Amino acid sequence: MASLVKRSVAELVGTMLLVYFGCGAAVITLTTAARESGPLQSLTIGSLGGLADWLAIGLAFGIVIAAVIYGLGRVSGAHINPAVTIALFASKRFPVTDTVAYVVAQLVGGLLGSIFFYLSAGMDAVTIGGLGATAPAGGITFGMAILAETIGTFVLMMVIMGVAVDEKAPPGFAGLIIGLTVAGIITTIGGLTGSSLNPARSFGPAVGDLLLGGPDVMGALPIYIVGPILGALIAVFFYDWVVKED
Amino acid sequence: MKCYVCAKEGRDTDAVAVCIVCGMGLCMDHAIREENDLWEGGYPFPAKKVKQQLPRILCPECSLAMKGDK
Repeated sequence: MASLVKRSVAELVGTMLLVYFGCGAAVITLTTAARESGPLQSLTIGSLGGLADWLAIGLAFGIVIAAVIYGLGRVSGAHINPAVTIALFASKRFPVTDTVAYVVAQLVGGLLGSIFFYLSAGMDAVTIGGLGATAPAGGITFGMAILAETIGTFVLMMVIMGVAVDEKAPPGFAGLIIGLTVAGIITTIGGLTGSSLNPARSFGPAVGDLLLGGPDVMGALPIYIVGPILGALIAVFFYDWVVKED
Repeated sequence: MKCYVCAKEGRDTDAVAVCIVCGMGLCMDHAIREENDLWEGGYPFPAKKVKQQLPRILCPECSLAMKGDK
């Protein structure tokens, strides 16, 4: 097995790529809409293409997740999501020291992904795109957003358990199926919460915005920490219970 | 079964193994035993090499072909 340092670096790079390409797609959607309708318009994702905007963003996330799983999965396990790592730890499948190192690496990777995207796309990525940060849509309360994030991450973690953790799972499909699952979840929940499903994915752009003068979304960050971790924990224990033979 | 390689050289030797790739009968002198690493784990866990190795019997020709240009 690769050393903990190498595995942590793999998690950092994987999460960085997730944020660069996934959140980057959200930024491009907003900056493109701004060019089409003018910067004074109140822009949200969906302004140009409706639900297709979310499908495109979901596919960007899904494809990069599949790429990271196939590219780095055998090195670190390619969790690239603190909620997944914490759920595997809570179900006694992952050691505590590795869990701490992975979560730190994922958070740093998320921030680096945002910084690199800003360096690639310029200040519009911050001022118009908000670095792809997540915040609930209008009319969505804190509680509603946590519920949506919990349900979305529950589905993600349940699929991870079914196609990867379960010893009976057919090999080779995990990256493809998990990527498509994330794309599908984002297409639906994106319009409610931004569909983070991943504390590191929200942490990177939120801190990046704070550092670079973008919109202040730190107040919404607890949604994307509590919801995904709760959803992943429920999923892992639900799966273990439901597959256990009586 | 006789060793195919020995038979081609005009010798008559009993085979003790069969090449896993081409099925050629092989005597002790011509059977090549290779040890292959085994890995467990993989997404979402890091893959790790296990202590046990998987043996594989090959004839000289197949052994050479499997190595390619290495």
